[in-house]
Amino acid sequence: MDCNKAKNLITLYLYGELDEKDRAILEGHVRECLACAAELAYTKKVFKLLDEHKPAAAPEPDWESAWQRIHSVISGKPANDKAPLFPRWSWIYAGSAIAAVLILGIVIGKYWFAPAQKLVQTASQMAPSPASLQPALSSHLDDIKPMLLEYAHYTAGDQVTKKIVIDEKIVRGLLLQNLLLKRMLVEKDPAAAELLDDLDLVLKEIANQPSQDRQAPSQIKDLIDQRGILFKMEILKTL
Amino acid sequence: MEELSLIRLAQEGDTLAFRSLFDENKQQVFSIAFHYLKNAEDAEDVLQDTFIKAYHALHKYSPEKGVNFGCWLNRICVNASIDALRRNKVREAHSLDTEEVVDVRANSPRSNPEKTALDKEIRGKIDQALNKLSPKQRMIFILRHYQEYNTREIAEYMNSTEGSVKKHLFRAVDTIKRRLRRLIMENDYGL
Repeated sequence: MDCNKAKNLITLYLYGELDEKDRAILEGHVRECLACAAELAYTKKVFKLLDEHKPAAAPEPDWESAWQRIHSVISGKPANDKAPLFPRWSWIYAGSAIAAVLILGIVIGKYWFAPAQKLVQTASQMAPSPASLQPALSSHLDDIKPMLLEYAHYTAGDQVTKKIVIDEKIVRGLLLQNLLLKRMLVEKDPAAAELLDDLDLVLKEIANQPSQDRQAPSQIKDLIDQRGILFKMEILKTL
Repeated sequence: MEELSLIRLAQEGDTLAFRSLFDENKQQVFSIAFHYLKNAEDAEDVLQDTFIKAYHALHKYSPEKGVNFGCWLNRICVNASIDALRRNKVREAHSLDTEEVVDVRANSPRSNPEKTALDKEIRGKIDQALNKLSPKQRMIFILRHYQEYNTREIAEYMNSTEGSVKKHLFRAVDTIKRRLRRLIMENDYGL
């Protein structure tokens, strides 16, 4: 091996990027060549210096505002901290629009594309039955219930002791779980799908509630009461 | 929930699923951008740029192609960081963040003022040496030396070949060695 090639390989050698053969050749060369041995020793010193003076650790940015800025772009909304705090009606409109499109699609499919019916039946036979989804649904409701009870028992007044602390990550996880179950049950079990729809609304309210808004827990409590969500959950569990 | 399910939901426009993907990968993306740009504010811009680009290009991402989502994001982040540096939007000199950390260390009861001054000087020289690298060399060096990715991974992030990455890495280290030679000799560092 010539010294120029050896010099090129020293960097990769120190990073552990050489295969066994090249490593052996380089080590053999360095044992016999004083200049390359000195180059290796010097490169090691440079690496040691770099390692002992690593750049400052990355600071912790404000992840929430970073996400809010990303979200405002990807959801097509202008970045505006003072945007309406409870865009619940837009969800309802969006949900209604999707439901209308789905119903229209089903009607068109049923009457205009009759030959496709067999395929649809085959696909639905392959999909999980409501009974097989019952344990997942039950466990999902058990996951959500303690949080709903917190809100249902919320009384405005003593703001310090009555503050409800919710882990946003958990709420988002529950929302996704809710969405998946709703998709699987929408045609098989309308009662469960309706409840999941209500839960979807409540979870979105919880996920989007501003921490400073003292009215938010009361509004969520009202939503739970108005829709009789806890009652529906009990009924569904007894079926 | 599994990453694949989240990706599928995000591809359908579910921003909540995308939020989960953001939470899983934000630290890594920010770390690459910060170590490359040496400035928290610019790194935050790159973080946002990366996730916005990723969201809009999500329909092109296919896990079946064998590239994992983190790797795909890193690729976007690497390009966004290099673009940011090239557009000269970043402050190349020592960032305030680095200075602040040095000051905090200097104020600790166990600190030695002479050693702190020397450390600061050395960090300054290292920064100067890194600033002499081309944007590509600098990224390759930072990914290899500080982020500890191997050259195969770096080639994936940079849409390059492993051979080309090794060549750039060698040149980057060679430049740094030349720039630091005087400092090492003067301080008899590591002997």
